[in-house]
Amino acid sequence: MKSKGSPLALGTGNVWKLLLQYAIPSVIAMTATSLYNIIDSVFIGQGVGALAISGLAITFPLMNLGAAFGSLVGVGAATLMSLRLGQKDYSTANNILGNVFVLNLIFGIAYTIIVLLFLDPILAFFGASADTLPYAHEYMVVISLGNVVTHLYLGLNALLRATGNPQKSMIATIISVIINLILAPLFIYGFNWGIRGAALATVIAQSTMLLWQIKLFSNKQNFIHLQKGIFRLKRRIVTDSLAIGLAPFLMNAVSCVIVILINKGLIKYGGDLEVGAYGIVNRVAFLFVMIVMGLTQGMQPIAGYNFGANQIDRVNKALKYTILLATCVMTAGFLIGEFFPHAVASIFTKDKTLIELAVPGLRIVFLFFPIIGFQMVTGNFFQSIGMAKKAIFLSLSRQLLFLLPFMIIFPKFFGVSGVWYSFPVADSLSSIIAAVMLIKHYRKSVIKL
Amino acid sequence: MDEKFSISIGRQLGSGGRVIGEKLASQLGISFFDKELIQIASQESGLGKEFFEQVDEKTSHSIFSGLFGLHSAYTNDIYSNSYLSNETLFKIQSDVIRELAEKQSCIFVGRCADYVLKDHSRCLNLFITADMNDRVKRIAEIQKMTENKAKDYIEKMDKKRASYYNYFSNKVWGAAGSYHLCINSSVLGIDETATYIRQFVEKRFGQMG
Repeated sequence: MKSKGSPLALGTGNVWKLLLQYAIPSVIAMTATSLYNIIDSVFIGQGVGALAISGLAITFPLMNLGAAFGSLVGVGAATLMSLRLGQKDYSTANNILGNVFVLNLIFGIAYTIIVLLFLDPILAFFGASADTLPYAHEYMVVISLGNVVTHLYLGLNALLRATGNPQKSMIATIISVIINLILAPLFIYGFNWGIRGAALATVIAQSTMLLWQIKLFSNKQNFIHLQKGIFRLKRRIVTDSLAIGLAPFLMNAVSCVIVILINKGLIKYGGDLEVGAYGIVNRVAFLFVMIVMGLTQGMQPIAGYNFGANQIDRVNKALKYTILLATCVMTAGFLIGEFFPHAVASIFTKDKTLIELAVPGLRIVFLFFPIIGFQMVTGNFFQSIGMAKKAIFLSLSRQLLFLLPFMIIFPKFFGVSGVWYSFPVADSLSSIIAAVMLIKHYRKSVIKL
Repeated sequence: MDEKFSISIGRQLGSGGRVIGEKLASQLGISFFDKELIQIASQESGLGKEFFEQVDEKTSHSIFSGLFGLHSAYTNDIYSNSYLSNETLFKIQSDVIRELAEKQSCIFVGRCADYVLKDHSRCLNLFITADMNDRVKRIAEIQKMTENKAKDYIEKMDKKRASYYNYFSNKVWGAAGSYHLCINSSVLGIDETATYIRQFVEKRFGQMG
């Protein structure tokens, strides 16, 4: 840290410049994946059909769960790797690389076997109907077989960042998106492989980048490279990595559960196409959410360092500017959702019924978007200044305290619209809580000073 | 004896490790760093002392601390850089230890100094223990506690230190293999133990003082 001179810059440089400097790479990395998800859905929706999008939407939580298991290893190992590199403990660092490899293989293969063995019951539980099941099944078979690749790819990407190569990890993400975007239409339209083609494109894209990552890590010139002896599992590395990775994993798992419940609710009160409609709404909303998440990641080091250095005015600046940017982004989303829902939905499908279902969905879910920017930034703000409990509480409050009960109760009174309405209501309530917590935090710190 | 050297002292709570370290430092005429490290780390990094103090020689990586700890991002797989994380603060502190060891001969108490200085060619790693009775008596007096409370406190702090050391250093706290010399200060008493250790140091690095 000292050698890079960055602490000084964080403490003295222009806050706007710093924010953009740190946020832009994060935003790019996070939107790349989100954009690919959108475009994948577009190809499937346009190229295969409305029921295909619904089938795809059913698989979202299953795929996220798979990735979450992958990051269970990666996040913790990356932290440990950073720690060891900071102490120039290259032998342990290399062991971490090897252990990540083996653990990802084990988790990946185990997940693949379990999912494939119980695929149809799992999908049915997630909300697949007789009509959507074949699509979901086709897609998941390919994705599940490629699960090991996904795990390894995500794990090695995390280690690329930890070994000081964030640009390489960003390149890997972007190129995998590009390969995907080339192959998906080719397979769907050119070879007529349907939804299976989309899944295959994803797996091939990730496999290609995995090969590149392996090549990067095979360079004997680097301190950290693949070699004999590092693949033996060391109990310390395994338990420490998993302990660190458990928290992000659980947060991820909670999100997956929420989506499963949403899909089931939509099926119960609406039908397959409602699920597809939510799939569309979700994908579009996610794009804006990811941009904001990138912004907050840019805020983290600035707010964190200056809080540590007791330069509270700079902390406040970082917070204010990030909230401003986030609100602008979410407001753009709001405008698109409220004034152009037809156009947006039509990008994904030609099916009139599906479009008519997606339009109100977009309008309702995006209703309070301008406020959510503030809520997301506040949560991450508390994390940056070391108040992890508050951050976790805010995040869980939106999901578990509000969204979950609303999703169960509202439809009983309002039918399918009830499911849609639970979003803006949950968002506004959790924004109020975020505001209250922020005000309390500032009242306390004024008294402290 | 001109060349710089370092001594790291790991110690059980109440074993007199710090006192021995101070005596050694004054006898050998070299610098001594215990809590002073925090002040220096704070000055060099610009981060407030309280952040270093909060995580000083304690960290546990149980599942629950993972939930509420200051680790990486809690979303996706993006690893984000928290400037106030245990790991970052440890790195700052260990950089300080290395810089100090570079410039002068020093004695460091705790804070995984032996691991931090593992590449230092002239570093001796000591571990000081004592009989439980002596430790309880000493802590009860210093902390103004009853002997029962002192015993509980000692067991709790030993666990915390071990957890901290085991996580950051990757070695095993208190295990003979992690150190060059382990010694029980109750056998000879604090003063004589310091003298005994001095002989060991001088045999290793040459006569001094």
